[in-house]
Amino acid sequence: METVLSINSVSKSYGPIQALKNVTFDVPPGSVFGILGPNGSGKTTLLGIILDVLKADEGSYQWLGGMPHDAARRSIGSLLETPNFYHYMSAWDNLQVAAAIKQRGKDDREVVLEKTGLWQRKDSKFKTYSLGMKQRLAIASTLLGNPDVLVFDEPTNGLDPAGIAEIRDLIMQLNREGKTIIMASHLLDEVEKVCTHVAILKRGDLLLSGKVDEVLVSEDQVEISAPDIAKLLATISVMPGVHSVKQQNGSLQLNCDTHISTTQINEYCIQNGITLSHLVLKKKSLETKFIELTNK
Amino acid sequence: MNNLLNIEWLKVRKYPTFWIMAGMFAVLLPLWNYSINNGFMKMGGNGKNGINILDQAYAFDNVWQNLGWWSSIFVVFISVLVIIITTNEYTFKTNRQNVIDGWTRLQVLHAKWLMVLTLAIGTTIYVFITGIAFGAANDSMANFPGNISGLFYIFILSLNYYGFALLIAYLFKRSGIAIGIFFLYNMIIESLVRGFVNWRFDFPAGNLMPLQTSDELLPFPLIDIAKTLVQTEEQITDTAYVIVSLAWVAVYYIVSRFRLLKSDW
Repeated sequence: METVLSINSVSKSYGPIQALKNVTFDVPPGSVFGILGPNGSGKTTLLGIILDVLKADEGSYQWLGGMPHDAARRSIGSLLETPNFYHYMSAWDNLQVAAAIKQRGKDDREVVLEKTGLWQRKDSKFKTYSLGMKQRLAIASTLLGNPDVLVFDEPTNGLDPAGIAEIRDLIMQLNREGKTIIMASHLLDEVEKVCTHVAILKRGDLLLSGKVDEVLVSEDQVEISAPDIAKLLATISVMPGVHSVKQQNGSLQLNCDTHISTTQINEYCIQNGITLSHLVLKKKSLETKFIELTNK
Repeated sequence: MNNLLNIEWLKVRKYPTFWIMAGMFAVLLPLWNYSINNGFMKMGGNGKNGINILDQAYAFDNVWQNLGWWSSIFVVFISVLVIIITTNEYTFKTNRQNVIDGWTRLQVLHAKWLMVLTLAIGTTIYVFITGIAFGAANDSMANFPGNISGLFYIFILSLNYYGFALLIAYLFKRSGIAIGIFFLYNMIIESLVRGFVNWRFDFPAGNLMPLQTSDELLPFPLIDIAKTLVQTEEQITDTAYVIVSLAWVAVYYIVSRFRLLKSDW
């Protein structure tokens, strides 16, 4: 199987608002695929379409090499937007309904409740749960039947810092077990820590998609400084491979070709009679990249 | 099919409202009829002064029609239950979750229609048992089953009411508004339109309105007896009412199917 999910030219409007515009990308197996975007960018709409609760106006999608959509949904675990359970039923009984629909995983209830820290409260009614516990139950439900693919929409919503760390560890652990995880989030830190691939959406447009390190590597910045900043600026601006130089707070920010290393920069400066007082490679954070992209 | 129904049962078996509403129907229908049968409740006056004109309607010949008429009032409990169970799925967003977990939209629809069919069969069986109890208490078992076609009409009527309730729930999605519309339609709008249509035309087409067409199968017991006595000619036969009732059920199904398959959730 080459792709777990293939999205082809999907578009969707809500009246005059175009929520998705011709979105196309593939999710490779074994990846943690982050779908990023500010609020209202179309993340949940996209997940709603691939989970068949929303209808696309145009385009198509394929799960697991063209498996029928309902069979595909039964074989994956999905959490969309909010935890949706019968309020008057216990966690145990709610998971029974989910397992019955999935036609698998009824015997996994104990394991998934243990994994998400809800075993002690398995007989409590859903309506008595805190927001964080509801979210945990939703995650527990996705794990029924030990699916190979998981879809999480804002999985750490409503969780406290310890809960967020736990879910992050759980996601990484699931990925180590070989599972593919598709995750929508506006929490960049979360995506950066766990994702191998990313797609960035802005007002329904797909801005970019690809491997996290490929998306970020070309955007590394080098920060340098020297006692004579004017001379440094004049020298470094003409160095081959340096695209742009920006002066900021007594130092220079360089955007360079990927093959330019900090060693080469240092050597170049020495050859030109400049001794650097400061040289640091700054990996551009996803947040910087994200803000840059979404503010264009 | 069985799996869909089984899952619907998992959803309601621990739902207090389900047991309360079903219990109301199960307790009040026999209790009400017991009161009439034994003269505690009378037409035209209360207590000892009233004239009890319905207490003779519990022999096997009349018991099905009689219980059917009262059932047409008490099925409202179950109709409201259908609305609550269905709109809960929107309130809790569990209809979405059912699809996310692997049901098709059509399975979501069919699960609820199977529930409606099962409740209609359950209602019929319960009225049958109640009818036997009243019949046996007032008549010889030698006269069983009597005019049993009334029991079939109870099935048609409850299927019509529950199907209509399901459609209203799908159209309005919120329990408060859906229950309000159901009562408003059942008690006022349909009577108004029916009255106007029957007044305007020679043919009583107003009797073929969605719920009324089934109500016509189970008229107030004495009216039925009186009509037999004066030999008035019915313009619309019971068979026609049955066919039109089933046609309305088909309309509810088609509209609800269209609604569920085409719209976003």
